[in-house]
Amino acid sequence: MGLKEKLSILSDAAKYDVACTSSGVERKGKKGFVGNSISGGICHSFSADGRCISLLKILFTNQCIYDCKYCVNRCSNDVVRTAFTPDEVCTLTMEFYKRNYIEGLFLSSGILYNADYTMELLHETLWKLRNEHRFRGYIHIKAIPGADPALIERTGFLADRMSINLELPTADGLKRLCPGKTREKILTPMRQIQTGIRVSKNELALYRNAPRFVPAGQSTQMIVGATAENDFQMVSVAEALYKNYQLKRVFYSAFVPVVEDANLPALAGGPPLLREHRLYQADWLLRFYGFEAKELLSESRPNFNILLDPKCDWAVRHLEEFPVEVMTADYRTLLRVPGLGVRSAKRITAARRTGCLDFSDLKKFGVVLKRAMYFLTCGGKMMTPVRMEENFITSQLVGEEHRKAWDIEHGSSYRQLSLFDDMKLTAVPSGEDGKKALYGEM
Amino acid sequence: MTTVFLCQNSFDGILCGVYDAYLSQLNLDECRLELEDEYEYAMFCDYREVLPETWKAGKVADKVNRVMSEEAYVYLYRAGLHKSPDRADRILRFIRLGLKYGRNTLRMLQNPDVYEIFQMNRYVGNEAHFLVEFVRFEKLSSGLFYGTVGPENDVLEIVAAHFADRFLDMDWMLYDEIHQKAALHSKSGFWVMHEGVTESELEGMNRTETPDVYVDMWKTFFETISIEERRNPRCQRNMLPLRYRKYMTEFQ
Repeated sequence: MGLKEKLSILSDAAKYDVACTSSGVERKGKKGFVGNSISGGICHSFSADGRCISLLKILFTNQCIYDCKYCVNRCSNDVVRTAFTPDEVCTLTMEFYKRNYIEGLFLSSGILYNADYTMELLHETLWKLRNEHRFRGYIHIKAIPGADPALIERTGFLADRMSINLELPTADGLKRLCPGKTREKILTPMRQIQTGIRVSKNELALYRNAPRFVPAGQSTQMIVGATAENDFQMVSVAEALYKNYQLKRVFYSAFVPVVEDANLPALAGGPPLLREHRLYQADWLLRFYGFEAKELLSESRPNFNILLDPKCDWAVRHLEEFPVEVMTADYRTLLRVPGLGVRSAKRITAARRTGCLDFSDLKKFGVVLKRAMYFLTCGGKMMTPVRMEENFITSQLVGEEHRKAWDIEHGSSYRQLSLFDDMKLTAVPSGEDGKKALYGEM
Repeated sequence: MTTVFLCQNSFDGILCGVYDAYLSQLNLDECRLELEDEYEYAMFCDYREVLPETWKAGKVADKVNRVMSEEAYVYLYRAGLHKSPDRADRILRFIRLGLKYGRNTLRMLQNPDVYEIFQMNRYVGNEAHFLVEFVRFEKLSSGLFYGTVGPENDVLEIVAAHFADRFLDMDWMLYDEIHQKAALHSKSGFWVMHEGVTESELEGMNRTETPDVYVDMWKTFFETISIEERRNPRCQRNMLPLRYRKYMTEFQ
């Protein structure tokens, strides 16, 4: 089989992994080496589904001993199986990198024979890439659950980011869909990598040239909508991972039914993209906006509002805290205002030291006034007189959000909402109906 | 009557214009800075040529760095690469404010003069970042990696600086076909910018006769990596504007 066919099969098999970021590590170029790394990360292209292509995302092999129900590469699925050699992966990475197609390599793999054997192959690939090809770009690698800790450690010194997919947020779901995996098998290496990163940081504080272990941190991924977990469970698990395992990112992947199984849900309306979107919004609130999972959702309200984003949803339920005054509110309070982000809040705190601000200035700072106007005052005045009433503000916000939500669920097939809301009707009105409408008999 | 200072079309030229405007001791409200090859002649104006001198530009640059901040200098430099014909005058307005407010100037976004510079810097920075993302090199038979760009602002230098760090040991060249500039980088790590490079001059370079196999593989990868069930061309268009696709391997 030629390299091109292998690439086609093994990238096709890898595409359901969502993580494709190249951020978190700053590394200058060096004489005798190829490449550098920028801490903000660089996307090099965007595929037809709108997702960024930053890394060469491939599986080392799509042969696998496991039979996870949701996975294309499960051993009981009838697909063409193949594998790269370490040299092939290195050549592809280097040649693509030199043409500025990619920012680095994202290497994952099915389990060939056993976990150790596979991890050994991944390690060999990375070792060659770093030492023979002198590659200084970004490498994201999957740790194989159940592999020897010594192997994982050695690989970690060659990679920038490591990840182990949690796949399903609860142990119960995991047992049902992934017969070969257990939660311990996933969490043990995750803990090992966390400890490794901490130790390495301490070493670096003492010795500047100490080798760096997984400098861009570790991440994980959860599938959304394959099992019955609600949003509150998902967000709580993510929060626990951030707190207890110091993960850099948790990714959410809307479940795409690629193989049929009695244990999997049949999704009539396509993958749950809106739900995935809401989870990402909440994830940002957890990481950058100082929110906690239990503020956003609770046992009694376990799922996100379809019509409002999580921040607006929180704000309209806490109107007693609003409106806040732009000139005096502290940074943390500003961050909680819908329509304000990290950047605009920082611009506000910097600019207000030098003079007064009004709403037209806020617009310049990137504040989304159509959301923020209900929650802010400038110099004690609101933009327009607003009744501080939950129902009124919600109805105002929903109109705007509804359009966006519709877009996400239905892709580009958006149409304007009209008075005659016939979006669900597909039948053409008959001639009789036309006449009736004409003569006003309806 | 307005006095117009005509300066050379370069960042140094603009700084010289700023120097001369201050030296003239005129009321700066009645002064304008224009670029000598882009201005439109207006009536009732007194036109003065600015003599470009490195020391003048150096003095102004030094002042900006000291009184405002290095960050402010970078902002001005990038604003000078912007395509707007008013860029010289806007830089003068910003420096005037800067001399009054010092280090805080950059934070005063509510001031229209600062906001202009802020926006210009952001536009130039964003475009440079887009190019860093979307530039594609092709390998010529000589072993040279060659890429073409078509930016609206004059950002080739910023882009080339990025690749100079990334591909230290490679021969590569970037050509900006809009501004007719080229950045050349040699294996030894040196790189230079050439201005006024026309396309006919580049025709002599020998392209590969045999098609590059990796071009084909990249296209394959690009196709297979997208998930059909999630197809979303609008999102793709937002993230990757159409005007860059002309130069990108995967869309050719």
